[in-house]
Amino acid sequence: MIWRIGIFLWIAATMAVALLAAPLVPVLQETTRVLYFHIPSAWITVVALAWSMLNSVLYLWKREPERDHHAAAAAELGLLFCVAATVSGSIWAKSMWGSWWNWDPRETSIFFVLLIYGAYLALRASIEGEEKRARLSAVYSIVAFVAVPPLVFVVPRIYSTLHPDPIINASGKIDMDPMIRWCFFSMLVGFTFLFSWLQSLRVRVFRLERRLAT
Amino acid sequence: MPNAASSSAVAVWAILRKECRSEWRTRYGLNAAVLFAITSLTAVTFAAGRLPDRADLLAALLWITLLFAALASMSHAFVRETEGRTLLFLRLVASPTEIALGKLLFNVAFLVVVEAITVPLFLVLTGAPPVRWPPFLTVLGLGTLSLAASSTLVGAVIAQTRSRGALFAGVSLPLLLPVLASGVSGTRAQWDGMPVAADARLLAAYAVALVGVSLLLYDHLWED
Repeated sequence: MIWRIGIFLWIAATMAVALLAAPLVPVLQETTRVLYFHIPSAWITVVALAWSMLNSVLYLWKREPERDHHAAAAAELGLLFCVAATVSGSIWAKSMWGSWWNWDPRETSIFFVLLIYGAYLALRASIEGEEKRARLSAVYSIVAFVAVPPLVFVVPRIYSTLHPDPIINASGKIDMDPMIRWCFFSMLVGFTFLFSWLQSLRVRVFRLERRLAT
Repeated sequence: MPNAASSSAVAVWAILRKECRSEWRTRYGLNAAVLFAITSLTAVTFAAGRLPDRADLLAALLWITLLFAALASMSHAFVRETEGRTLLFLRLVASPTEIALGKLLFNVAFLVVVEAITVPLFLVLTGAPPVRWPPFLTVLGLGTLSLAASSTLVGAVIAQTRSRGALFAGVSLPLLLPVLASGVSGTRAQWDGMPVAADARLLAAYAVALVGVSLLLYDHLWED
C-alpha cells in the first residue's frame, strides 16, 4: 500500500514539474512533453521483455513455476507498455509529422515488437498442460527476444529515420537541458517502480490461479 | 570429442536423408508448396500486371509470395511426425538437436527447390528488369536461411499445440517480419543499383542469431 501511494506521488510530482516548469526543446516545441511518457514506456518495454527472456532462461534451467509466472507477466506488461509507447508516439507523429502513421523505421520496428509478443500470448493460450505451456512459451520468449535488440537499437540507426533522438541527442550522449533531464530520469525511475508493482500484482494473480487449479 | 562430433554429423545426415526420402515417396508437401507458390504468384501477377519499372513493388511482391509459400508448407516437417506418431521413434535414435538440425537442413533444401521454381517464374511473369545476381542471391539466400531457421523452431513448438495450422502462420509471421523488411529493402536496392551491404548484414545477423539460439533451445522442446 505504502509503495503504491509512493509511486503515485512520485509520478504525479514529476509530471507537475515536467508540465509546468521544465523548458521546451526548440524544434519540438510543446510536443517536448511527450518524452516524459513516451520514452519511459519504450524503456519499460525493453526492460519487461528482457525480464521475460531472463525468467524464461531460468525456467528452462530450474523448472520452477514461479519463473514462468514472471516470464508471462513481464511479456504481458511489456506488450502493454509497448502499446503505450506506440500510441503516444503516434499522437506525437500526428502533430509533428502530420500523419498518425507513416512507417518510419521507428514505427515499423515497434510495430514488429508488438506483433511478436502478441504471437507469444496467442501461442501461450493454445497450449494445454501447465508444464508444457511453460516450457514452450519459454522457448518462444527467448527466440522472440532475439528480434528485440536489432529492432529497437539497430534498425533505426541503419535506416534513415525522422525520429527525434538526433535532435535531442545530437552528440550521442544524453545532451538535454538539466531541468528536462531531471524530470526525464525521475520519470524513468517512477515508471520502473510502476512496472515492478504491476509485475508483482500479475505474478500474484498467476500464483492464485495456479493454486485454484490444483 | 571428434568421435562424438562425427557421430552426430552422421545422425544429422541420416535425418536429412530420411526427410528427403519420405518427402520424395509421397511428395505431397512439395507438390502442395509448389502449387501454392504458383497459384499465389498467379494471383499476384494477374492482379498487379507487368511492372517492368517498379522495383519497389516487385521486391515487395516477390518476398510476400516467398513468405506465403513458406508459411503454407513449412510446418509439416514436425507436424508430420506428430500426426504419424513417429516422433518418439525418431527421438530414440537421435538427440533433439540432431533431429532439429536435420530438419533445418531439409527445410533449407525444400525452400531452395520451391524458390528455384517460383523466382524465375516471378521474374518472367512480372517482366522484371534484369537482376544483379551476386547481391540478389546473397539476399535471397540469407532470407531463406532465416525463413528455414524460424520455421523449423516454430514448427517444432506448434506441433505440440492444439490449433496447428492457423497458429503456425500467426506465430511465424511476426518473427519473420524483420526478414521480410530487410529482404524487400535489399532486393529493391539491388534493382536500383544501390549497395545491399547493410541489408545483407542485418539478414545475416538475424539468421545467425536465430539458428544459434534455436540450437541451444531444442534440448528443451521435448521432455515427457
